[in-house]
This record gives sequence, structure tokens and C-alpha cells, in this order.
Amino acid sequence: MTFDLKIDEPHPDHRADGLAQGVLGHESDRPDGWLKVAGAATYAAEEQADDMLHGFLVRAPKIGAVTCPNLDAVRAMDGVRSVLRDPRMIRNAAQGTANEAPVQGVDRAAYVGQPVALVVAATFEQARHAAQALVVSVEEDDVPVLPDTVTPEEPEDQNTRIGDLDRAMSEAAFKVDAIYTTPSMVSAAMEPHAATAHWDGETLTLRGSLQMLKFNRNELADSVGLDPKHVRVLAPYVGGGFGSKLGISADCVAAALAAMELGQPVRVVQHRRHVFEVNTRRSETRQHIRLAADAEGRLTGLGHEALVSNLPEEEFAEPVIQGSHFAYAASNRHLGMKVARIHRPAAGSVRAPGESVGVTAFEVAMDELALSAEVDPVELRLRNIPETDPESGKPFSSHRLEAALRQGADAFGWSRRHAAPRQQREGEWWIGTGMAAAFRVNMVIEAEARITLTHDGATIRSDMTDIGTGSYAIFGQIAAELLGLPLSQIDVQLGDTRFPPGSGSGGSFGAASTGTAVWLAGMEIRQQIADRLGCAEAELTLKDGVATVANQRTTLHDLLSDETIEGHGHVKPGDAFEKVRQATFGAHFAEVAVSDVTGEVRVRRMLGSFAAGRILNPRTARSQCHGGMTWGIGMALTEELTHDRRDGHAVNRDLAGYHLPVNADVPPLDVHFVEELDDWAGPMQAKGIGELGICGAGASILNAIYNACGARVRDMPATPDRVLAAMPL
Amino acid sequence: MNIGFLLNGEAVQLTGADPTRPLLDWLREGRGLTGTKEGCNEGDCGACTVMVSDGDGPRALNACILLLGQLDGKAIRTVEGVEDGGTLHPVQQTMIDHHGSQCGFCTPGFVMSMVTAHATGATDHDDQLAGNLCRCTGYAPIIRAARAAEALPVPGWVATDCAGDAPHNAEVAAPESADALAALYDARPEATLVAGATDVGLWVTKGLRDISPTIFLNRCADLKVIEDTPDGLRIGAMADMNRVRAAIAPLFPSYAEMIRRYGSTQVRNAATIGGNIANGSPIGDNPPALIALGARLHLRKGDTRREIAIEDFFLEYGKQDRAPGEFVEAVTIPRQPDTLGCYKVSKRFDQDISALCGCFNITREGGRVSAARIAFGGMAGVPKRARAVEAAMVGQEWTAETIAAAQAEFARDFEPMSDMRASASYRLATAAALLGRYFDESEGAGLTVLEVAP
Repeated sequence: MTFDLKIDEPHPDHRADGLAQGVLGHESDRPDGWLKVAGAATYAAEEQADDMLHGFLVRAPKIGAVTCPNLDAVRAMDGVRSVLRDPRMIRNAAQGTANEAPVQGVDRAAYVGQPVALVVAATFEQARHAAQALVVSVEEDDVPVLPDTVTPEEPEDQNTRIGDLDRAMSEAAFKVDAIYTTPSMVSAAMEPHAATAHWDGETLTLRGSLQMLKFNRNELADSVGLDPKHVRVLAPYVGGGFGSKLGISADCVAAALAAMELGQPVRVVQHRRHVFEVNTRRSETRQHIRLAADAEGRLTGLGHEALVSNLPEEEFAEPVIQGSHFAYAASNRHLGMKVARIHRPAAGSVRAPGESVGVTAFEVAMDELALSAEVDPVELRLRNIPETDPESGKPFSSHRLEAALRQGADAFGWSRRHAAPRQQREGEWWIGTGMAAAFRVNMVIEAEARITLTHDGATIRSDMTDIGTGSYAIFGQIAAELLGLPLSQIDVQLGDTRFPPGSGSGGSFGAASTGTAVWLAGMEIRQQIADRLGCAEAELTLKDGVATVANQRTTLHDLLSDETIEGHGHVKPGDAFEKVRQATFGAHFAEVAVSDVTGEVRVRRMLGSFAAGRILNPRTARSQCHGGMTWGIGMALTEELTHDRRDGHAVNRDLAGYHLPVNADVPPLDVHFVEELDDWAGPMQAKGIGELGICGAGASILNAIYNACGARVRDMPATPDRVLAAMPL
Repeated sequence: MNIGFLLNGEAVQLTGADPTRPLLDWLREGRGLTGTKEGCNEGDCGACTVMVSDGDGPRALNACILLLGQLDGKAIRTVEGVEDGGTLHPVQQTMIDHHGSQCGFCTPGFVMSMVTAHATGATDHDDQLAGNLCRCTGYAPIIRAARAAEALPVPGWVATDCAGDAPHNAEVAAPESADALAALYDARPEATLVAGATDVGLWVTKGLRDISPTIFLNRCADLKVIEDTPDGLRIGAMADMNRVRAAIAPLFPSYAEMIRRYGSTQVRNAATIGGNIANGSPIGDNPPALIALGARLHLRKGDTRREIAIEDFFLEYGKQDRAPGEFVEAVTIPRQPDTLGCYKVSKRFDQDISALCGCFNITREGGRVSAARIAFGGMAGVPKRARAVEAAMVGQEWTAETIAAAQAEFARDFEPMSDMRASASYRLATAAALLGRYFDESEGAGLTVLEVAP
């Protein structure tokens, strides 16, 4: 049996509040913690096998038609077992939820660094040595690599025009009309992508560093030409993803092909430079933002047009304007996307695709409007909160931006701020504060999970992954709460496509989507227990392994003896999506110091105030927000993937040159959760939290830089040279 | 090479091992110890941090750029070996308690940095953990975990590791004195000298170069000596940068503070001052400070020694005044009053190569500039003195006007380049501004970058 739920209607019945175990919604350690601190959690590259072969990806040094003239000589090198030049190898990682093979082929390199061969040898060193020896000749194509040099595509379904923005701009009491840019960025998860493949003649088993296994299985099967039922994918521990591991990656497909050819297990590990180029980057963006406001700062016009890039044949386009559709009211609107087809490494999802960069630029523009209209930045946002979705007119499922702004401002001490820039100085340092609102769409993805209950406890299984987000902890809490068991009696098993297909990790939807499947599975078990006890499910109290109905107590042990009960939950997105606009909201506040000698910026403190429905585990949720805010620091100040202007390759493709924030860059971060239960979000009233923390975080820093020293930086990141150049003399 | 060491308390003896094999590869591939992670393979991320101990105590090092030839006689501890009698190490427990691990991939490296700091009693956690990157947590929970473990007992195995009785093998290619090194290198001038391997390690892991034949310098105890003499400070070439920092701190605190941001704890534990100078990098952070201090370089080839001003060592980009078979034996810093100001400017606060690094040593007598030594990294193909700026100040009154006049001279000294770290115009403008900062500090107005934190 299965408890199915299609989310068509709100769930005003807040069952989670009435359950007895008292673990859901409370802080809880992650059960995988001890494995990780002991180095005992095994990641994709760490499976041991005596007959393991090692593969090393060979990549194209230029763009164009590829040949390998000394292929036979390399095949004869010491230890080399095979040099694959297989047309099934993939050009770049699949996009998230692609569910089919990405662009394949090795005869033409579409970007510098594209994998064009895999050398397989008995040892890693032999494979790498032979890979170095393989000559890759490229008959160069003359292709564009700069987004400004091509006529971009303008997808019509990405173009929204309402009213007359030009007229609103000309009639505005206050306006902003400016260009903002963000550079290419990368996920830079700490674990490089890696794969270990086994082939037994019938079934391909792949251990990969992947986020969405049910899709990845199909992508891998389609790539290598197998029926998905003959493909098993495992990823019980994943060392961070942030979008870079959504789709099947080149190492996985190459390892699988090699294992199938050679009949031995094959490991392929991307080294850090591969990671920067053969997966997906966040596209650079050029954003034209126009704001028209009346004398009170109420928006009458809103324009947000963005230019992004990607390789030919990639469907993904960084959805820069996604948040602007619903963030603010304005009756005259123009939102549009342009996509430049260029030959930089593929672009794809990186933490909070769209809002991460779109909200950040937009919230800088809002700060500029607040200054020109002489309205406090928090007040400006409050004045422009829409009653309903500003484009469709649909009601919001729940809208707690006002609370997030007010509570955040109070907690931060916003009222003590100087409105004008350059008011506070400590030595050579200008001190200032800034804020930004946060917006992120909320999504639910189809997901399944199974719970098996015995008198010893419960086991939860799903192919859902835990990429650091806390899936193991949260699913355990959900099941423990519903089944009335201590957490010590819950076992959570994830990351194996032999388990029911979960949502995968991505788009902040994991905890709520697969979590709801776990909830439904738990509910099915509660129903079965209630049936056995002859009561209604709602009359049942389960706590610490004891079922209580009225004043009758039955232990789980007595109830089950040696039997097992199974529950299977299955959730699907439904009509709710059509009926209401659903999103998460928040507000960021930052204090910075800016050196007027060097232009260096030091963030002194940050506070994020977030509304994301029911918080299932404040500890893991807060950690997600800390991480997102830290990404905001990187986006504002340090992170920039630089492309060579001649051939588009990634120049700073290592962790020395690509500057993700270090400890010294991260100040004390406060996270505040606004109370919210979003009934449209399903039976737990919980929404996604993994990405909200980055959306707009960088803008609060950029706005604080302006407030500190009067430097308005519209080109991110605000490196010392840019800050100094923008600083008034 | 024959190499012996203790691994998690057990004696290991390697016979005929490749001394240039990185420890990380040997651990993961050779021993199946996969707790130690490879995140970058070039010392940037700290995911491969291990604790290496000898009679001088424990230190945290990046295993990816630590070559087997450096490890004879040491005790190596990996994340798999830090539990004590089946109980988690205190920092492992506090990492769980404070939610310091999310995806878990950086975690073993953080744990080993923390285990090492815990063993030495270090509580400057921000510095101890500056060499570990995390993409999930925002670091604060990890710092809290380190703090929470401070007072908890040190496991018994730490003392065993530090007893200094790990297996040891005498090897010709790993001389144990400067004299032995001088003779060997004079006879084999084609050999690659391996000091701390924080740069040479990358020739192996990233350049994929065969650097043999090699001579490992780390056993030359006499090259590690730091002497505070009446004439000044003499620092042996093999002194690591954390020891250099400690020796410099009471004399030139501004230099020591710059060293604090140089690399990371793991990198400074390996990196030597001699290696940094001999490499001749235009963006190394030591040379500008040493030039400003008027340091002298002691070179040796066989039994022949010579001494030169350190700025004369750097001839042009990639070329130094060093003959085949000649090596850096020591550097001396003359005794002098502390008027040194060192300013490192980088995009990221820690673990970043300087966009520019300016060091100012300006002496005043009776309100006038009596001597000036100003040197920069990142402004030319070599670490370089600002002679025109110096000349514009010497003999002049120590006033804002003199500073302004001198600032205009920077364009005569330097034609910096634009690259990813900064634009040429930024470098030039900021170099001049740093002179202004030095002046303001001398007038008591300045604040250091550190004091910005609330």
C-alpha cells in the first residue's frame, strides 16, 4: 500500500504540533556526524577493490574538431588497459532533472577543457602519465566566447511586458536605471566529482558524487545505452553539491563505459581543475534594472532584463528574473531574458539559480532608489510588498516578508543607523550598514520513501541524498515523531537507487519533498497501528515505543512481536502550484568596514531573518542559512571565475585563485527564523531553506559598502580595486 | 630511499620508496586510509591535513604536498588514528555537538588541525584553522567546537608520537648537516633541493614533473637554528615560517603580523624562509620585509661562502644570483630599532597571494628622515626597492607634505601589471596610499586590519 498525496489543497490541520515524541521542529544532531568526524563516511572515490582500474580524463586544449594521432602508441604504454574515445562520453554534466543523456561525443570540443578521451590503466599514475602523453590535435573553430559579441537569443516565453514601463520611467518622481554585472561563479564543493563503476555483465553499479539519483540513473542509462533497470547508482555521502552534482557528470559516464568494456571496476576522479570546467558554472550576468517610483517611493514601474550565456544545445539559462516576477508590486513591468550562445564551459544550476544573482542585483537597485527617494531602505521594501502576485493576481500561499524585515531590523539594531553615507569612521576605516530583502521560489518535487517498522525500531529508505544538508537527521526526526520512537531507534538509509525514488537534493526542495514522503509513510504506519488497535489514527498517541489510545497502553513490542509493518509515502506536486504563488522570504542586514587606503572590505557582522514555513530542525536549518550567507560574502567580495578572453577557458581554476571565503572573511552570523506555517506546502507546512540564505545576502554587503564610504559598486565582486575606484575622493 | 616512521602509532618501514611520492597518495592508495581527503592537491584547502610529530612536538601539515622523503623519523597521525581507546577525540565529539560538520568532506582536515592545536594547547583557533576551507558551515560552528574542546584531556598517544623514537634511516640524499649538504650539492648541482615542499610539491602534484634527483634538507638541524645575536637575528634557511614568526614577533611585530596571514598554519609549518627566498617569487611576502630591514643573505657552495644584500639576489623574473650547487644557508637581519611597517593587500583576508605587499622602514632623527628602505612585492618581476620614493624623503622633514611629494615618485619606481589580483592603476595608487598609512600610523592615527573586528 502507499499513501499518495498530490498537493492540490492547503493542509490547515497542523498535525505535527499535536504529536507526542517531541523531536520534530527541535534541534537534533546529525546521525552521520560521528562517521564524518572519524573519516569513516565513504565518498564516491573511496570504495576499495583489488582489481580496481584507474581512469583519467583527457581534455581538449582548444575548441574544434578533435583527433588523437598517437592513440595506438598510448594504448601500448605501460599499464594502459584502454584509451576510450567513445562517442557516448558526455560533453559536460547533465542539467538538473534532465533525466536523459546530455550532449555526447568526443570528436568535437565545444569548449576548452571538454573531455575527449579516458585513459584507463592499472594504477592512477600510469593512467595520468599516459593521459599526459596522449596528443590531442584540434582543428580550431572560430567561435565566440564573449557574451557581448553575439546576438543573443530572446526566448519569448521569458519575456513579460505589462503596462508601459518607459512611460512610468518618464513620469517617475524617483528612478533608477543602471546596469549590474555578476561574473561566472562555481559551486566549488569540497569533494571533487568522482565515480567508481562495476559491471557484472548485466548490471552497472555506479558510486558517484551526485545529488539526484533517480534522474542520474536515467541519465547514465541513456548515456551508455542500458535499460535503467540494469543501472544502480549509489551516493550515500556526498561532499557538497550546490548544484554542481545535479546531473550525471563526465567521470560517471566514462567510468561506466570503461567498466563495461573491461569487465573490471574502474574509478575516475576529477581533479580540481576538471571540477572547475567539465561540470557546470553559474553564468555571468549583465542585468539592466529600471525602477520607477512615485513621490512616496511606491514602485510604478519595474524593469529587469538579463543577459546570460550557455553553450549551444544547453536548455538551462540562469533564471535571473525569477524572483522579480513576484518580489514587488508595480503596475508597469518589463522582465526579459537573453541568452548568448558562447563557448565557455557549460552553465547550469549553482546554489539558488536565478535569485542568488538576480535578487542581489535588484536589491542593490532598491537601495539606490531608497537613497534617491530618501526613504529608509527597510521602509521602502515594506511599502512595496504586493497584496497578491503582481503579474498573475494569484494570492500568496503565505507572505511573511514584513515580519522578516521588521524582526530582522529590530534584532540587528537597524534604527541606530546613519542614513547618509560616510558618517562613521574608525581610523582609516569607514563603517556602514546595509540591508536587502531575500526572495526564493518554493518547489515540491515528486518523491517516495518507505519506512519499515519492527519492534526494534524503524528503518527509512529513499534514494534521496544528504549532500550536507541534514537529510539523515531530518527524516529520522519526522519518522520518530510520527511513530513515537526515540531517535536512537531510527535508521535512515539513503543514496541508493534500489530504495524508493526520492526528490534528490536541489532547489531547496529536498527536506520538504522527500520529508513529506517520509511523513506519508509514517502516517500509513500510524493508520495500520490504529487499525490493529481499533481506533482512529488521530486518536492514537505514539511515544517512546508505546501506543496509547484513551487510557490503554500497548508497547510496540507487544503490538508487533516479530512482524514488520511497512509504510510507503508518495508525494507529487499538484494544483497548489496553479492556485497560489508560493515562495520563501527574508531579510539580510550587514555591517562592514571599508579601508580608504586600500579599498579592502571587512564584513563585521551579518544577520539574516528568514521565513520558510515550519522549521523541521533549527540546527540544520540554521546551518543552511549560515552557509548561504557565507556564499553571499563570497559573491559580494571575492568569488569570480575569470575566463580567458581569447578562448573562454577558466583561468583561475583552482582554490588558490577562485576565492571562496575563508574563516577570516566570515564574521559572526546571526540567523533569525520568522514563525510561519504555510498550509499550502503540504502536511508539514514546511518549505525549502537551503538557498534562501544566499538570495540577496551579497546585496546587503554592497549596500553597506555604499553606506560606509559612498562607493556604489555595481560590478561584482567588490574587490579592493573596484571599491577604491568607486570611492568619492 | 629507505624511509621509516610511525603511522597512527605503528612502525612503518619503506624500502626503496620513491621519496617524491606525496604522503596523501601513499595514505589513500597505498594504505587504503581514505579518511584523509584530497580537495585541491596543492595546499589550498586543508582537507588532507595530518598531524606530524617528532621531538620538537606536533604540527599540522598538508599531506598532499608533503613528500615521503620528508617523513623519515616522524610520527604521522591521520583522522583514523585519533580516537583513544575507542572514544572519540575531544574535538571529534565537540564537532558533533556544535554541528561543525555538514557535507563532511572538509571535516577530517579540520579535525586534524584541531587535534594538533589541542595537543599543543594553541587557542588562537582563527589562525590554527585559517588553512582549512569549508563551503557549508560558515566556519563559526567549527570555531565553537575547537573552543569547547580546549580544556578536555589530551589523549595519551600524543606523548608517544612526540617521543621522537620513530624509525629512522640514514640516507645520503638526506644530509643531516649543512656541511654534508654543501658537499653533496656541490657534487650534484643538478639535484632538486627539497626544503618544505610547499612550492616544489606543486612541481610534482600539478606540474607532474619528475624532480629527481632530489636532496631533502629537512634533516639539517643546523640549518634550522635561529640565533638572536648582538648584531642581529640570524635565521637558518630551514627555519619554518611559524618559527620565524615567533622569532620576529618581539622585534618587528608588523612583520610577524604579516606572516600570520602568509599561507596558513599548515603551509607555514612546512614552508622555510630559505625556500621562500631561493624561489625568488615576485609575490613572496618575505623578501619585501627583509629588504626593508636591510637583511643579508648567506650563500654557500661547497666550502665557499659569500654574503650579499638580499635585494641583490633577485636579478629578474625567475632568475636569482645563485650558482649551480650553491644554496641559501641563512639570512641575517641587522639589529635596529623597530620602525618597520608591513602591509599585505589581498582580495581574501587569509590564504591569498598578495596583490601587493609593501614594507616600509623609515628612520627619523630630529624630525627629519635620516634613512628609508621601502620594498614591494607584486609591483615588478622581482621584489623591488622603491629607490626614487626613498630618495624623495631622505633629508626631508617628516610631514604630510614630504609624504605627498614622495607618493608622486612611485610611478618612477614601478610599472606594475594588471592581472587577476589587481589592476596596474590600483597597485600604483595603493602602493602610494600605503606610505600614507605608514605616516598616519607613525602619527598614532592608524588602526590595523585586525582591529576592525568588533
